[in-house]
Amino acid sequence: MSIEVLLVEDSPGDVRLTKEAFREANGEINLHVACDGMEAMAFLKHEGSYANSPRPDFILLDLNLPRMDGREVLARIKNDEHLKTIPTIILTTSSAEEDIVRSYQLQANCYLSKPVQLDDFEGVVRSINDFWLITAKLPQRRDDR
Amino acid sequence: MTPRARAYAQTEILHTNGNFVERTLPDVWAGAYAQSREQRWRVLDMMLSSFADFAYAFDRDGRFLYANQPLLSLWGLNLEDAIGKNFYDLNYPDELAERLQRQIQDVFSTGGKIADETQYIGPNGVLGHYEYIFSGVIGPGGTVEFVAGATRDITIKKNEKEHLVQMEARYRGLLEAAPDAMVVVNRAGEIVLLNAQAENQFGYRRDELIGQKVTNIIPEGFAERLIADGTRTAAEALAQQIGTGIELIGLRKDGTEFPIEIMLSPLESAEGILVTAAIRDITVRKNAEKHLAQMEARYRGLLEAAPDGMVVVNRAGEIVLLNAQAENQFGYRRDELIGQKVTNIIAEGFAERLIADGTRSAAEALAQQIGTGIELTGSRKDGTRFPIEIMLSPLESAEGILVTAAIRDITVRKNAEKHLAQMEARYRGLLEAAPDGMVVVNRAGEIVLLNAQAENQFGYRRDELIGLWVTSIIPEGFAERLIADGTRTAAQALAQQIGTGIELTGSRKDGSEFPIEIMLSPLESAEGILVTAAIRDISVRRNAEKHLAQMEARYRGLLEAAPDGMVVVNRAGEIVLLNAQAENQFGYRRDELIGQRVTNIIPEGFAERLIADGTRTAAAALAQQIGTGIELIGLRKDGSKFPIEIMLSPLESAEGILVTAAIRDITTRKQAEAHLVEKVEELNRSNEELEQFAYLASHDLQEPLRMVASYTQLLSRRYKGKLDSDADEFIAFAVDGANRMQRLIQDLLLYSRVDKKGHELLEISSAGALQKALFNLRGSIEQSCAIVTQGPLPVVAADEIQLIQLFQNLVGNAIKYQGHGVPHIHVSAKKNGGPMWQFSVKDNGMGIDPQFFEKIFGMFQRLHKRDEYDGTGMGLAICKKIVERHGGIISVESRPGQGSTFNFTLAATTKKP
Repeated sequence: MSIEVLLVEDSPGDVRLTKEAFREANGEINLHVACDGMEAMAFLKHEGSYANSPRPDFILLDLNLPRMDGREVLARIKNDEHLKTIPTIILTTSSAEEDIVRSYQLQANCYLSKPVQLDDFEGVVRSINDFWLITAKLPQRRDDR
Repeated sequence: MTPRARAYAQTEILHTNGNFVERTLPDVWAGAYAQSREQRWRVLDMMLSSFADFAYAFDRDGRFLYANQPLLSLWGLNLEDAIGKNFYDLNYPDELAERLQRQIQDVFSTGGKIADETQYIGPNGVLGHYEYIFSGVIGPGGTVEFVAGATRDITIKKNEKEHLVQMEARYRGLLEAAPDAMVVVNRAGEIVLLNAQAENQFGYRRDELIGQKVTNIIPEGFAERLIADGTRTAAEALAQQIGTGIELIGLRKDGTEFPIEIMLSPLESAEGILVTAAIRDITVRKNAEKHLAQMEARYRGLLEAAPDGMVVVNRAGEIVLLNAQAENQFGYRRDELIGQKVTNIIAEGFAERLIADGTRSAAEALAQQIGTGIELTGSRKDGTRFPIEIMLSPLESAEGILVTAAIRDITVRKNAEKHLAQMEARYRGLLEAAPDGMVVVNRAGEIVLLNAQAENQFGYRRDELIGLWVTSIIPEGFAERLIADGTRTAAQALAQQIGTGIELTGSRKDGSEFPIEIMLSPLESAEGILVTAAIRDISVRRNAEKHLAQMEARYRGLLEAAPDGMVVVNRAGEIVLLNAQAENQFGYRRDELIGQRVTNIIPEGFAERLIADGTRTAAAALAQQIGTGIELIGLRKDGSKFPIEIMLSPLESAEGILVTAAIRDITTRKQAEAHLVEKVEELNRSNEELEQFAYLASHDLQEPLRMVASYTQLLSRRYKGKLDSDADEFIAFAVDGANRMQRLIQDLLLYSRVDKKGHELLEISSAGALQKALFNLRGSIEQSCAIVTQGPLPVVAADEIQLIQLFQNLVGNAIKYQGHGVPHIHVSAKKNGGPMWQFSVKDNGMGIDPQFFEKIFGMFQRLHKRDEYDGTGMGLAICKKIVERHGGIISVESRPGQGSTFNFTLAATTKKP
């Protein structure tokens, strides 16, 4: 069974890097990308062109997004009865204390800083894979179109 | 037959029958008859001598033929000498002898008897009374042969008889002379005797009453008392009356009645017991008694009404009478006191005064007390005592002299006296205790009173000054002020002086003088107006005044010479003094400011600080300001303002606490300060901008840098060996450059964050921070086998994250710049004499050339080529920033090839010094 992951990230470069890193870590992962908060919400709510979007197993969410930024997306996800059970992992360049605190306050499941070095970044992605997909238990995905 | 009869009978027989004599006569007689005449004669003599009476015989010529022994004893002769002697021979008085002789002759001639009495003083000198009888003894011839005589000594009987006659005469005399009527009554109740007074009293003549029943004059009450009845004898009846005065009614001849008092006494007589009644007409007494009863009633009324307690005491000291007031005073009921000793209510002082002693009679004793008020102490029934004053007066009564005591409760008066005495004592005490000398002077200028202080002040003893003129101690200025002259009376003169303190000169006993200040006040007394002078020795004050004047001059000098403006302000906020500097500062002339409110030159901040308000006194308010330089605004005369700094200090003066303000014009200082502040603000602003810039730059540069670095690395990884060797080399340079840039940006970010993202300094363990730093460096420590040692490290005020960063950089450098050996690094700390700790990180590395000591702390400064030692050159710059943020200083000691010691200081505590 394939794993559906939603990556909410506006930087194409970061998107490609993340894709490459996940391909290395786990070939089973289907990485869906939304490049801003609006698209992310539309994807999650199966709106518009995302009518048939799958429900992700977990979400990777950048904080600094145009239009609707990651913090708002996080808040919306975690206030939505259907969506809040999806593990939402903040993956951002910021390591600021206030961003960390805020994210957890908004019920982020996890906060990760993107390391500067490529190797380190690949390591973080592996960790995500190892922890969230192997170690941790996720709720059964139910298609709820 | 009686013995006498028998003896007579026998005598008859004697004459007729001699034989019978032998059988019946006593032996003596028998013997005498049987024998000679001489014997018979001797027996007769014996017989006649056995009588007490004299027995004797004379012849016709009066010569003694015989005298019995008693008579012989009287004469002091024996018989032989006496016989033949006549009265003349026996030395009888001639008259007596003659009489006797004659009587003897008569008897001889008549043959009868003669009896007579006579007095005779015997040879023993004793006068006696005698009665005698001469009897002629007829012989056988029928004629008188001799005269026999017998004499009885009747001296006693005579005396008795005479005595009786005397007594009878005396008694009769007494009776007659008695003031009372005397009536003697016999057992039959008949008057047997009465005196002239009785005649007068009853209006009878003696002979009209004698033999009459006593009931004629005393109808009732007397006779009955005398009668023996079935129950008692007359003697008993009488005995009951003896000694008692019996009041009865007498009945005069004219029928009028009058009150009498009779006193009975028995009188033994030949006729039996007679009763003598002394009868007193008690009409007057009765009237007197009535009067007395009236008086008594009146007196009792007065007594009862008297405001004082009245107590009447008899000579025995017993209370016989008292009034209601006395009952109240002493708390007794009348009946509880009457008959009691007066000492029960007046324990001492009263009874003794009444007693007659050896030196005076009761009357005299009393007389001494009459009229004087005597202070004693009364005792109430409840046992309490109270002061009393008694006035005594005598009262004659039937029972003798009684003493009336008017008793006044003088508790109140005593209290008033005590109070007065207290007041007097207090006044005296005040006078003595007064701190000033007090001298009281009379109108003549003489000292009448002074206290101990005055004694001390003038060096005199009290007795030396009293009576002296006051000019002795105050030569001038005092006495004159008191004297009445043509223009004013003494009272007026005095009045002018009252209340004012007058400075004069006092003169001591030793002649020395001293300045005094006197205050006069009048004092009314029995002797007229006296003047009390309170005298104060003002020597000290004078000296103080002089001293003060000196100090004032000196102070004034200082004030004028002061570089700062000096202004002295009183409690009302008015300027009392200022100096030339102040004049210049404010642009006023001195006289324009003195007396003005200080708010004219210092509008705000000064006057308020001085004011006493509800929460503090002026002194307290001032105390808060003393010593501190206060910045205020000064106002010049031309209206311009300028900044001033004032320093306050208090100044005690006669007018109270004044405030001296030293005023400094701080215009230039203020300007410099303002300038400085401006500059600092500018610097801060630019610093902040720089930091902000650095932060933003580093933060925003991170992102594109990540892209470059990551993708060049991906390129390198994926296409290494798949392109030509140039491509590999190009990619390698690109990757390297990106990496370096990343590290630089990171360090720059770190550097910029030191202040911006720094945390509050807390007191933390530097040892803990070092441990954490070493943990972070564990990789390189292991790899290099570095040995890191430390000394005791203190608690310091620091941001822990930054301190860890600091240790990490320095130790990391020490490991990196080792050279070829094993790194030995020692971290220690010591106090450098102040509040800071000096830390040292000492290594045995390659050392640093001194010319670079400063450079190495700059940004991006590297001393080695990139391929020798990697590094961004920011490490020490970051260390410097951290240390400076903590308020410390960082420096290095080193020699090339001899290791380096990096020193930095940190505060021990967060508290401001």
